[in-house]
Amino acid sequence: MGHRSRGGRSARPVGSAALAVALAAVVGAGAAVAQDQSGGTVKVGFIAPVTGFVAALGQDMRNGWDLYWTQNGTTAGGVTVETIYEDDAGDPEVALTKARKLVEEDGVQMTAGPILANTAYAVADYVAGQGLPSFHITGADDLTQRRANPLVLRVGYTSSQSNFPAGQWAYDQGHRTAVTLCPDYAFGWESCGGFVSAFTNAGGTVTQLWHPLGNQDFASYMTDIQAAGPDVVFVGSAGGPDAILLYQTYAGFGLKDTTPLIGNCCFADQVFLREIGDIGAGIESFGYWVESRDSDEVTAFVSAYEAAYGDTPSLYAAGSYMMAQVIAEALEATGGVVDGEAFVSAARGVSLADSLYGPLAFDDLNNPVGPVYRTRVEPREDGRLVHVLQETFPDVSQFWTYGQDAFLANPVFSRDFTGVAP
Amino acid sequence: MRAVAVGLGGLVLFAAFSAPLVLAPYPLTLLSLVCIAAILAGSVNLLMGQVGLLSMGHAGISAAAGYGVAWAAVRDMDPLIQLAVALGVTLVVSLVFGLMTMRTNGIVFLMITLALGMTVNGLAQKLSSLTGGQNGLTGVRRPPIVADQGAFYLLALVMLLVALAVTYGLTRSSFGLTLRGVRESEGRMSSLGYPVARAKLLAVICSGLMAGTAGVLAAWQSEFMSPAAAGFSRSAFAVVMVIVGGTGTLLGPVVGAGVVVGIEHWLSSYVERWPTLLGVVLIVVVLFARGGVVGAVQDLIRRWRPGDRGGAAPPGVPALATDGEAVVMTGPGAQAPAGAGKEDL
Repeated sequence: MGHRSRGGRSARPVGSAALAVALAAVVGAGAAVAQDQSGGTVKVGFIAPVTGFVAALGQDMRNGWDLYWTQNGTTAGGVTVETIYEDDAGDPEVALTKARKLVEEDGVQMTAGPILANTAYAVADYVAGQGLPSFHITGADDLTQRRANPLVLRVGYTSSQSNFPAGQWAYDQGHRTAVTLCPDYAFGWESCGGFVSAFTNAGGTVTQLWHPLGNQDFASYMTDIQAAGPDVVFVGSAGGPDAILLYQTYAGFGLKDTTPLIGNCCFADQVFLREIGDIGAGIESFGYWVESRDSDEVTAFVSAYEAAYGDTPSLYAAGSYMMAQVIAEALEATGGVVDGEAFVSAARGVSLADSLYGPLAFDDLNNPVGPVYRTRVEPREDGRLVHVLQETFPDVSQFWTYGQDAFLANPVFSRDFTGVAP
Repeated sequence: MRAVAVGLGGLVLFAAFSAPLVLAPYPLTLLSLVCIAAILAGSVNLLMGQVGLLSMGHAGISAAAGYGVAWAAVRDMDPLIQLAVALGVTLVVSLVFGLMTMRTNGIVFLMITLALGMTVNGLAQKLSSLTGGQNGLTGVRRPPIVADQGAFYLLALVMLLVALAVTYGLTRSSFGLTLRGVRESEGRMSSLGYPVARAKLLAVICSGLMAGTAGVLAAWQSEFMSPAAAGFSRSAFAVVMVIVGGTGTLLGPVVGAGVVVGIEHWLSSYVERWPTLLGVVLIVVVLFARGGVVGAVQDLIRRWRPGDRGGAAPPGVPALATDGEAVVMTGPGAQAPAGAGKEDL
């Protein structure tokens, strides 16, 4: 204590002792974990936030990942896949420490996850630096674009990828003016970027609105939309409380009945549908995970998932399941050998006639090329709201119709740049 | 007793410096994180313990410094230029913190620093051409001389010792006395003619420079920068470290950093409900050991030390409320505050 006058002489030895104890605790703990490189086993480090503000997504990821190995067994390509789980709490610094632990202490041969863009960039950068493959489902565009790495593969779409067809479709429906409303950070910029680029290239005009993440009141945005009087509204949201509040306000202002609203992959996600109630019916979205799609893969996955966990699987559960599937297929292809870039090449070579996302292949920068689905929210037989497939846009690339080189000549989408020139 | 103290301290230092010889990179990573967190917590403690000002935005200052380094590093600038950029950014941000809070105290100080920390967080997200926005900056690399984790750990350790030495010197100076005077009675200090606002400004800048040092080291350690580094939880964790370790004690932040980093980065691999555990630790400390771990151990030692002048009754253990508003003396032998800070922090 600052004002304490005597007794201070004893403070130093005591403090030092405490430091020694803390030091010993940390050191001893680290050294206690032994290296284990037994043959016939491939260790995968699975990083997902199961605590913190995105804990729900992380838990879905674990569920999806576990379900794949439960259904298909943990043997692939003659080796047993052993998963070591780590929690990153949604924080890049923690994610990095955990990645270091997985690589340096546990000796994993690859990592899968995490979900948030900044944690994924941090982990991918480190793991690739160690010469090991990392697999991702985060949307962050640049992970497979300007910051692409031959050791990094994404088994999910970029944030903008599924919104290019949305822009084109909206124009084809006869809409000429649009208002876009997206959260004001990288995911929102990229989501709106896809829609704005395709819609304006086709000849439409847009008014762009941005709301802060964690916004509490959407009324002012609704008056802006009413003032603009657009033909269509596009919302590119990461879901969560923002999305629910936004749509309740939208419906409350009566806009639901006057102006059609299109959502991105994640605006009206499965969590949203659980909470939103009847007003959710009829929302149209563009995404790549449709839980009611008529496919054996999807039906088997959804019924198994609902039986095991009681909830409709979210995009994050489906994505992690897909990650596990691609890793298993790649292990089959290499006969269980995991050798850095060669293994990622094998994973990139995986081509699925049907999967949870539909027919899937990968492009040169390790991002999926696959179908984008237009869906409408409708009640299932048991009354639960689900996305119902309306239209399929096959083989959508992360570069849309621009081509890789022309697209990558642009900067990554930001608040100041949402329109790629045709 | 003094010989034991010196011996024990020497042993700890010896162990700390020889760690790179015996430990694998991952434990060294954890130890580096402890050193860095301890420097940041120390900067919070400087204000909390000496001036009685609780900052909820110090991660904003350290993140600003980290962005300075990261911004320069991804442009392949020389490490010295990286440091110069970081120093400039740190000074500017600290000055803003200081100027906006120099006439406040208590809850107002807390709220303004909270707002400023969130402002840094917001700017980091919005100025995406400089900061990479939410995605952060990848491709930051440590200077070649500390590229190895062992070498980097030694750097972090040395910087922690420097920070401790500076703090110690500062609290024993007349400036330190002035700050404690401000803490005890701001009105009396200003009526005595002390430039209270200027002293606070200077204290915030000193504290900011320490936080900036932590920020630079953190950016080099993780080789990555993102707005999360300026997030509220980072600032709050720094305060938790100070409280757990012992507010106003020199080594409190080090112990607190060890506990918090240990739980967040290491124990979380084994205990899924680690945030609950951290919360329980904080509650236990607040309820049963207001002086933190260091304060509690000090009390114990004083109680058990043979042949103490206090006789049967334990010597006075004055406990200072962490917000610096009340001084509570307990037990006989409580000292007058006149000699404050002569021996202890």
